[in-house]
Amino acid sequence: MHLDRIVSRIILLAKLPGNDRRAEVAEELRTHLEDLAEEVQSQGYDEEALDRIVRMRFGEAEEIAGAFTSVYAPERLAKLILQSAMFVTASTMAVVVVIGGVQLIAAICTATSVVSIWRGIHREVFGIGAVTAGYCSAYAGERIFPTSLAKAVLPSVTLGLWLGALFGWLVPQHAALPLAAFACAASGRLLQRVKIPFVWFAGTAVPLLIAWALFGPLISGWQFPWLVWLGLTVSCKALREIVRLLERVFVEDFDYSENTAKF
Amino acid sequence: MPFDRELLKGSIALLILKLLSERDMYGYEIIQESLRRSQDAFEFKEGTLYPALHQLHKRGYLHSEWRTGNNGKQRKYYGLTAAGRKAARRSEQEWLSFTKVVKAILSKAKA
Repeated sequence: MHLDRIVSRIILLAKLPGNDRRAEVAEELRTHLEDLAEEVQSQGYDEEALDRIVRMRFGEAEEIAGAFTSVYAPERLAKLILQSAMFVTASTMAVVVVIGGVQLIAAICTATSVVSIWRGIHREVFGIGAVTAGYCSAYAGERIFPTSLAKAVLPSVTLGLWLGALFGWLVPQHAALPLAAFACAASGRLLQRVKIPFVWFAGTAVPLLIAWALFGPLISGWQFPWLVWLGLTVSCKALREIVRLLERVFVEDFDYSENTAKF
Repeated sequence: MPFDRELLKGSIALLILKLLSERDMYGYEIIQESLRRSQDAFEFKEGTLYPALHQLHKRGYLHSEWRTGNNGKQRKYYGLTAAGRKAARRSEQEWLSFTKVVKAILSKAKA
């Protein structure tokens, strides 16, 4: 009789928020199943019949888990919103710091005034937003569709198209760079899943090279394309560390969610 | 006569509240008690009791605590809160009115 297997299946499928709650529900269900098994056993059933009767009386794991999922759906949603808000905020701050740092290095190298960055601040804002959105959407894709790469890229592709339309409308002459930055961050994240070290560097480089080939120099200062690439690559590295940190902080949700990307 | 599943599902909260208004019980005990009182007619998938208990607990109708039984086994007991007692009375009244109306309709249909 595999009572623990029934309990584990329910707990896994129910996606209950919090380790303590999961442990408590598991213990509660296990106690019930033990009582039920004792009752059936006392009626003289053999092991095979016992297993069948207990399963029949207790119900399908999927049905019970589904009912638990509905009960705790608001808590799970609140937690997901909180985690997403923390992730997006931390990511944006990290990208601001990295891109700001790279801009500063560029200003020092070219002996230009740092203040000159402020003249094109709207472009910087679009660029920073695009990098954050590209990385976060790729990560969200991994979490939502952990087993299919084709589906995992859907959030990034959808968001990319929307941003393309938005940037094309708001800043038509400067739309190419933030879109290239978006693609760099998204493909950088996707390639970070590859086990071979540094392969993801190509993820941040290839979309930039394509953009350069298609549109030529996109901004003044494009004579330092490696600096743009460096900014995007360091941003992706910083964002990867943020993802790792958050996954450690919210480890209880990641352990049970079956959401580890497997493609 | 086995009852319709949806009908059982709809009345499970009332059943839990009513049984717990008499004394604190754990899940298995609630099932046993409902089977005994209904002479085994009120039969539903036992595992589905727990999401219902947790839902009522979340609404503030139940309190719960782990207690050790006579055989040394730890069990989670549920009892009614003040809000739960109110809800039990309200649900019972609602159910009685509902069955009265259904009965009236059925008897007229027969006549």
